[in-house]
Amino acid sequence: MAGQEQGYYTAAEEFVGAQFDSLLPSFNTGSDYDGGIIDEYEDQSTVVNQTYGVPDAVRNFVRSLYRAFTERRIDEMQMLCEAGFIKLTERLFSKCSWPDADRIAPIVNNDEIFLIFYKELYFRHVYDKLQPSLEQRFESYYNYCNLFNYVLSAKAPVRLELPHQWLWNIIDEFIYQFQSFSHYRYKLKHKQESDLAMLRDHPKVWNVHGVLNVLHSFVEKSQINNQLNAYNNGDDPKSVADEFGRCPLYKMLGYFSLIGLLRLHSLLGDYYQAIKVLENVQLNKKSLYAVVPACQVTTYYYVGFAYLMMRRYQDAIRSLSNILLYIQRTKQIFQNKSYQYDQIAKKELQMYALLAMACIMCPCRIDESVLSMLGEKYDKEKFIKLQHGNLSQFEDSFAYACPKFVSPVVPDYEALSQSQHKAPYQFQLKNFVNEVKQQVAIPIIRSYLKLYTTMPVAKLAAFLDMDEDNFRAQLLSFKHKMNNLVWMKGQRALEGEFQTSSGVSFYIDEDMIHIADCKVVPRYGEFFLQQIRKYNELVKGLS
Amino acid sequence: MEVTKENVHKLLVGINRYNPENLTVLHSYVEQQASERTYDVEANLAVLKLYQFNPSLFQLNIVSIILMKALTNLPSNDFSLCRCLMVESHEEDEQISRIYYLGELLETCNFVTFWEELAQNKDLSSKVNGFEESIRDFICYVLNITYQTIDAPLVAKLLGGLNENELTKIIDAKGWQRVDNNKIFLTNHDLSSDSKNMSFKFEIENLASIMNSS
Repeated sequence: MAGQEQGYYTAAEEFVGAQFDSLLPSFNTGSDYDGGIIDEYEDQSTVVNQTYGVPDAVRNFVRSLYRAFTERRIDEMQMLCEAGFIKLTERLFSKCSWPDADRIAPIVNNDEIFLIFYKELYFRHVYDKLQPSLEQRFESYYNYCNLFNYVLSAKAPVRLELPHQWLWNIIDEFIYQFQSFSHYRYKLKHKQESDLAMLRDHPKVWNVHGVLNVLHSFVEKSQINNQLNAYNNGDDPKSVADEFGRCPLYKMLGYFSLIGLLRLHSLLGDYYQAIKVLENVQLNKKSLYAVVPACQVTTYYYVGFAYLMMRRYQDAIRSLSNILLYIQRTKQIFQNKSYQYDQIAKKELQMYALLAMACIMCPCRIDESVLSMLGEKYDKEKFIKLQHGNLSQFEDSFAYACPKFVSPVVPDYEALSQSQHKAPYQFQLKNFVNEVKQQVAIPIIRSYLKLYTTMPVAKLAAFLDMDEDNFRAQLLSFKHKMNNLVWMKGQRALEGEFQTSSGVSFYIDEDMIHIADCKVVPRYGEFFLQQIRKYNELVKGLS
Repeated sequence: MEVTKENVHKLLVGINRYNPENLTVLHSYVEQQASERTYDVEANLAVLKLYQFNPSLFQLNIVSIILMKALTNLPSNDFSLCRCLMVESHEEDEQISRIYYLGELLETCNFVTFWEELAQNKDLSSKVNGFEESIRDFICYVLNITYQTIDAPLVAKLLGGLNENELTKIIDAKGWQRVDNNKIFLTNHDLSSDSKNMSFKFEIENLASIMNSS
């Protein structure tokens, strides 16, 4: 029934509180430590070593990273990868690539495994700051194959430990490069014949099946679903896992691969499967695995988007509100890690756009602070246009906020047309706009209904300038569209119960519409609870 | 291999879900759903996904059945989920366009027009056993959540031009009641619980955490 609220404010607070606990301690120190590499060698950074052609600062960085890598010192690797790598990139490599693996190989005793991971960083930088050539795209793919083969084909868990952030970045970047390649091969311009030949001769490179295979392999190898299941039931995940599953490297790669699948399925328009892969992940509770903020943000962005396309507006609003509140609260922590924050900032704005659209499709209570942030971060004029059912505003906001959809199929290189790479996006846009069109009369009807407690059908039809039959159909459609699946506590992400969520309740008795008296009473109770909780936190902090 | 729900779902585990060789079994399963009035949204979405990855394997008849079956599961929005997985070039087929139009009419609750269109598209409705029955179930569901009392002739019209006998069967099946003046009483709609005048409700958990800390 419409009165059954889910206590959005308290739910979001719970979520944020839980996520805070899971943040790595390093985020709270806000320090600028980068392994001491840059400061020590400040003066020599521009001296290029004659023998290797590699700047000293870089040599020292690589040496330190290699040491940390072999000695499995995760915290140091984390610092180096974040601060050290970023700073050196800013200073020396903002317009060119890092030294090739061959050139730094002597520094690291030609350690093949380390070089694979170095190359991963190398190519990630190329994609970030430069334009990768087709050869580079291929090389990066082969490097990923080497990396994943090394980890997955081992008879016993490989003796490696990497920071969670790095593991997440590997999976995240892998999918990003797949996405980039899929768009690239559909773009007609500037393709040399040699490029086309290379593409034609190697259809398996960056093939969607390959990507799926990697992700599924990690999921299976780590037995992450069994572990999550055990965790949800209050059992020890280690009890259901073998040596691979118990090893943190495999476990986290397995978990991140689930999120990778969520993203991949969303990019292909399969929203059902996207949510399905998360069926063992408890989206609204404290999670042992919620240690990488970028991963959390990505997760909830895609979950929110998938729910929106599945017409589960309340679930979309809840997911998006939770993560937006989380980002808002953890902003101070992120500011010190500006690299992290940049990645999240864009997603944040996209999510506000999605939230705005979801709220228009399904008005319901949102957390107060999220609502006020929405007012700041999403243009008020645009919001008003959405409220008036302006379709082109819906299109624009969707275009801004949606993922960059891809086609899984190899194109016919002979017959590529202009902007064919945009076709998957336009297809999903069309489906979304179709849904919006079907619901376009609902806000207007709703605003009229709110003004009365009873109203003859014929009279309201006349007000709205519709014939009575058509208007009755609209009322039926109103009820149908506003009755959607909503997730209930304790259920899996795909499940739900049908609930009405329209902001106004009504029914028709013969020829009369009866509307619920909608005086909204200020929710004093919830406000008090919120203030009591804040006060308790304050007191705890002081003592 | 026997085409059962269990066996089919075994095929859909992990990476095997994307194996196009599964299509033979999956095709039989889809046709089985059509004739036996069963429904399996996951298997059907898996078929559409295989066509998305391998557009040359597209089979018009199977996709038509899947889409029609999705309509029988209204009010769930399986139909729009299916549409998001379609391949654009396949959508140009006139049979698919006709099914899309039927879907549009149902989603916007233009039921009278829907039955008129369906009458001209018997080839589509005959693909799925019990199609019309399922649609009537959906329409009755929407009427139930919207109306308390409704004109009997209107109901008959919205359900596809039923005669007296057919209408009586539906009334009995749905637990409705005929009332005087040729009207039907569907269900009691009580708005008092929906009125926002209600006082606040808490979840006990929220209160408990406050009590504990004080």
